Amino acid sequence: MLTYILRRTLIILLMILLVSSMIFLLFRTMPGDPTASMVDPSIPREARQALLERYGLHESLWTQYTIFMKDLVRLDFGSSYFYTRPVLDVIKDRLPATLILMFTAMIFAYAIGIFGGAWMAWRRGSKMESVGITFGLIFRSAPTFWVGLMVILLFAVRLRWFPAQGMRTTGYEGTTFREIFLNLDFLRHLVLPALTAGLYFLATPMLIMRNSMLEVLSEDYIEMAHAKGLPERRVLYHHAARNALLPVVTAGALFIGSAIGGQVLIEVVFSWPGLGREIVQAVTRSDYPLAQGSFIILSTLVMVMNLIADVIYAFLDPRIAY
Amino acid sequence: MKRKRLAVVLFVGVMLAASTLFAAGRQEVATTQDHGPLVPNLVILSSLPESNLVNYEMSQELAEELGKLGVNMTAQPTDFSVLLDVIYGEAMDYDAYTIGWSGRVERLDPDMFIYSINHSSNANPGGNNTERYMNPEFDALADAQRSEMDVNRRREIVWEAQRILAEDVPRVTTYSRANVQTYNKNRFTNLENMSGEGLFNEWTPMVMEPLTDRRVPVVASNVNITNLNPFMARSVYDWRNLRLIYDKLVRLSVDVTPTAWAATGWNVVDDTTIDVTLRKNMKFHDGNPVTTADVKFSYEAYMAQKDSYFASFVAPIDSVELIGEDVIRFNLKYAYAPFITTTLTQIPILPKHIWSAVADVTLYNNAHPIGSGPFEFVRFRNGEELVTSTYKDYFHPVKIDGYIFKIYASPEGVLSDLQLQVVDMVSYDLIPAHTNQIKANEGGRYSHLQITEAPDIGFFYIGMNMLRPPFDNKAFRIAVAHLVDYDYALDVLLDGYGSRGGGGLVINAANEFWHNPEVPIYDTYDPAKARQILSDAGFTWDAQGRLRMPK
Repeated sequence: MLTYILRRTLIILLMILLVSSMIFLLFRTMPGDPTASMVDPSIPREARQALLERYGLHESLWTQYTIFMKDLVRLDFGSSYFYTRPVLDVIKDRLPATLILMFTAMIFAYAIGIFGGAWMAWRRGSKMESVGITFGLIFRSAPTFWVGLMVILLFAVRLRWFPAQGMRTTGYEGTTFREIFLNLDFLRHLVLPALTAGLYFLATPMLIMRNSMLEVLSEDYIEMAHAKGLPERRVLYHHAARNALLPVVTAGALFIGSAIGGQVLIEVVFSWPGLGREIVQAVTRSDYPLAQGSFIILSTLVMVMNLIADVIYAFLDPRIAY
Repeated sequence: MKRKRLAVVLFVGVMLAASTLFAAGRQEVATTQDHGPLVPNLVILSSLPESNLVNYEMSQELAEELGKLGVNMTAQPTDFSVLLDVIYGEAMDYDAYTIGWSGRVERLDPDMFIYSINHSSNANPGGNNTERYMNPEFDALADAQRSEMDVNRRREIVWEAQRILAEDVPRVTTYSRANVQTYNKNRFTNLENMSGEGLFNEWTPMVMEPLTDRRVPVVASNVNITNLNPFMARSVYDWRNLRLIYDKLVRLSVDVTPTAWAATGWNVVDDTTIDVTLRKNMKFHDGNPVTTADVKFSYEAYMAQKDSYFASFVAPIDSVELIGEDVIRFNLKYAYAPFITTTLTQIPILPKHIWSAVADVTLYNNAHPIGSGPFEFVRFRNGEELVTSTYKDYFHPVKIDGYIFKIYASPEGVLSDLQLQVVDMVSYDLIPAHTNQIKANEGGRYSHLQITEAPDIGFFYIGMNMLRPPFDNKAFRIAVAHLVDYDYALDVLLDGYGSRGGGGLVINAANEFWHNPEVPIYDTYDPAKARQILSDAGFTWDAQGRLRMPK
């Protein structure tokens, strides 16, 4: 087991180097250089040259690459062109808002999805099952921005139960994590975006759970459990669901890995100050350091979470050994 | 029998085809001698429809109109940064494009739209004259207005320069947008919508009055603030706040006259020497006095930064001297008429005691800006809001207690918060759909909102590379000016919120003082006339209907 984890970690490190190089190249082959969005065209062209030199963009691609790689090894992602602040600081600013939103949505989706999926497999062929599937698929296929707008229209504008925009009431005071996030005002702002995101994510765990439950339910040991006269609920959740959970765990782990990217459309509709919007903006205005940093962290998380999912497998299913 | 008939039909068909081909070939030989070279195939780089639908549509229209005249033009939607790369690039490899100049307040001075974008000295790669317009007669006028310190004489020169541009048509202005913005009229009054600036101009926060006990207005923005360091701030949105936290020697009043502000007045000693007297007893927000040394330091710091937002405004300054206790003398390298209207109105006064201690001003975070302006910085949460409070010791009385600049991700979000009265005013131009929705006021849900409209001095246009045929031909450019449907752009694409364009129009009617009412000369959509103009100029059409250059 330990050697397996070690080997995988080594592969991940190699992959990160490869991915980073690809990201580096991709941004530089993207048309338009960063000064185009940084400099107002009405300022003298010497200014543009001065900017290129400030950011080392006048150097050859190879020189830029070696500097980038050297810094990366020291976990230095550089400074954002626009914020003139270290990339990690900018990301740290926005990350909590994104993660809290994504995890709330995930807990909502996976709690309902896992139990709902298991229950739907149990009640296969019933009307309730088709209602459940249709419900999940509708929110999976409806554009999230549209669902978001409808949710705002209903709960914020018509009923006025929850605020429509942002994550705190305008003019709030607070600088620390506790002051910003741990209070009722924040929770009230969290409800609508989390609901919208949660409804969107719901179908994945629910349908995966249902499918894998259907497979498990046809196994001999389930029949055995029935034959032993165990109550239905115990067979369903204790014997069957535990084994059916494996694919859901993978999906969940990958979800966490990509959660840092957030749901850009939801962040836009609710003016949620998350990292997703920041990444999109960094790409569109060619803020190389910020965009590179975000994508490298994003891909690293996906790979690490993949590894964690594989390890959890071994615990959930004793038949799997590495 | 059937087969035989088929053979006959085939034979006749082949013979007919051959003879027409032969005839066409002969005609071709005969006619090419009477024609000039073909008008080359053209590409117009347009905006992507999602970034500017009007520009996108207008270039499609132009390509279609030129097609009817026998010119093959392709409209190619292009990302904005790529477009800038191409038109400012070394290769100067392009035919035509659509783009615009935004109507920022400092562009009310005619220097930008007359000199910077039309003078031949800016026609080399990287210069702002991306049409590569070169006319010595015009250059002489552009130079003269720059050094004419008498405003009325300068206006005459600027008017003449506009007339030449309207005749030469280096670009075809397609439309200008209007600044349509809204605020809560039940809560605040005395807000003025300023051309090119909108409601959240530098005066509104200083003069607006609360009508209720809500004394801190919430201003909605759809763009984030990125940088509060005055040496690194590069967006209008950053500056709309920084100019209220930092003070300036001169400010442009709502009717755009330069008004002494942190200065008590200025004296033009001669064309290249300007003395400015600093107002007494001003203090920075941290209690330190504002002195002439701070002013000198600020201007010199900007002169040392080659890539700052204000680089072109401080470029004419040779040196800054202090005379006596409260006079700052600016020695210019050359006479520069916009000095008072743009340079003095833009450069912020920074506290020397803070900035001189910073090793590299460009790397300084400036997390808590200290200025001497009417509003004090309180806090900024990236992507959420900037909070300010009114500076109690300011020399000009301010009636609100501060303002909150709230950042939204979409105009739809702002609209719902306008309805819920979370927001008191917007700081950007409403999209026409939202303007119409507010005006329709269905169910009375927008009754508390006041729509205001100010014409914009900025403009959007079709640029033509005059180093290349056919755009090197003046008649062809004039013909293009007749192929643009100005009314379609304004009435259909902009829902009427804006103003019409025209050939060579750079200073529009919104800029009342500087606009020459006799321009534009060519501003009607008339394809038949375009055909006539081309024909009169010696353009011809060959047998295939393709347009050919004059011989």
